[in-house]
Amino acid sequence: MAAGEIVSDTGSAPPAVGRGYRHWLASYLAMLRFDIASQRTWLPMFVLTQVLFGAGMAVIYGFYLGPMAPQEALFIVSGAPAIAAIAAAVIGVSSMVTERKVAGTWDFIWSLPVPRSAVVASTLTVYTAMTIPGVVATLALAAWRYDVHLSLSPVAALDFVLAALMATSMGFGLALAIRDPLVTNAVLNALIFLVLLFSPVVYPITQLPGWLAGAHRVLPFYYLAQVMRAGVTTGLVHGLGTAYAVLAAWTVAAWAASAWVIGRRR
Amino acid sequence: MAIVTSPAAGEARSLPPAAARAGPRYWLHAYRRMVVWNLVDLRLQLPILASVLILQGAGFVVGIGLLFRHIPEPTATFLVTGIPVINLITAGLIFEPQIVADQRSSGSYEFLQSMPVPRSTAAMAWYTVALATALPAVAISLAAGVARYHLHLVLTPALVPAILLTSLTGVLMGYAVAHAIRAPMVARLVSVTLIFVLFGFSPVTFPASHLPAWLAQANRWLPFGSMATIVRSALVPGMTAGTGRAYVVVAAWAAASGLVAAWAVGHRR
Repeated sequence: MAAGEIVSDTGSAPPAVGRGYRHWLASYLAMLRFDIASQRTWLPMFVLTQVLFGAGMAVIYGFYLGPMAPQEALFIVSGAPAIAAIAAAVIGVSSMVTERKVAGTWDFIWSLPVPRSAVVASTLTVYTAMTIPGVVATLALAAWRYDVHLSLSPVAALDFVLAALMATSMGFGLALAIRDPLVTNAVLNALIFLVLLFSPVVYPITQLPGWLAGAHRVLPFYYLAQVMRAGVTTGLVHGLGTAYAVLAAWTVAAWAASAWVIGRRR
Repeated sequence: MAIVTSPAAGEARSLPPAAARAGPRYWLHAYRRMVVWNLVDLRLQLPILASVLILQGAGFVVGIGLLFRHIPEPTATFLVTGIPVINLITAGLIFEPQIVADQRSSGSYEFLQSMPVPRSTAAMAWYTVALATALPAVAISLAAGVARYHLHLVLTPALVPAILLTSLTGVLMGYAVAHAIRAPMVARLVSVTLIFVLFGFSPVTFPASHLPAWLAQANRWLPFGSMATIVRSALVPGMTAGTGRAYVVVAAWAAASGLVAAWAVGHRR
């Protein structure tokens, strides 16, 4: 009888471990604690960098343009959050992923007895959440600098979260998919240059040559700015459905790329 | 007798006598060797740096124009004539501190400092290499700007001293940052901050009148706006006033940076 009990115990125990949504949720919560604890010194710097970058660029664009019409100022102010979100993803999230790669931290994390999807979900949650304060602070600073009155939409918070999630997913997927940290660095610098100078984030897309405007109707940066702009202005953004669809497609593509990189054996 | 003189003779063959390791000839010889050293040491980075400078300059000229629905000609002229400054000082001011920070991190810094050459030759050799790396970018950025905005620029003889002094000042400032700040992270941070200041808060590619008064006033004593003034006055005579003052400001920054750099590389630790 006793022996039977032992057999029964050992036989039933393994299937209960490491399966099911409860285990996934517990793993996700544990990884959230891990991410926050391991990044606690870096996260304030992450927010500060993104505010300095977003608000700094909003001010700098004004220096280049000189005296400007209210509409131009509104474009800069409502584009500043997108600059901050992209800076958070391209500089902050990618740096974190690359640093973990160089230090071998990912190898340790993948060895933990948690589903890898829970690891990714936790990292994206933490960085998406940490992007929002920086985005809001950037918007407030830019509005104050140009004395622009914004009209907040009821779905502004949702727009910001979606845009931040998309940017974070892109930064995460890109840094994970490129193996060589030097190449990652070069690609990220090129991206920053492309976004700051050749993307219709702080000016209308009609100011671009036709071929470049066409490219931006496929790339995510223009739509990211449109979604965030729609949350704080009225009458400037049209075709928001397309913007949501393109952002969703890029987010899913970034998740798929991350899943492919994480899931394959080396 | 032979046993006593043999080592001395061998030594004389491998090293010049103490008297020969001074004077202009030795300096020139060491300078040439250091130029070759730089070219060999940075053989992989220099082509990339030259390409980045070209893309940065030409990209900036075209990209900033997209901010405007219709860019006024004076604004375009300001933009195009300011770009050479960015081309000229990026290598010295940004690249050098990063390279030295890497050398400190990897431990090769002390070895390089122990080379039996006057340390001024190392600085001058790097100045030569940085200038040569930047010049193609200057030419291509100006050509791109002229083609894009249909401008009329004049290449006056004053362009030669303007370019030489601007590049020298950038190199000496970068040298001072790279050698005076020992913590690699801090040196990298300072160089990144400087490029942000150069691009965004200095009247290099836009007029000082676009800045708040206090920042415009501060820029009268900072080097970047004055560098732009001397280069701009050589490309569009009569466009800017205060060229003489600008030369004095830039030369003062070159001298001060040179002193700091000399102190940093010269003092014993």
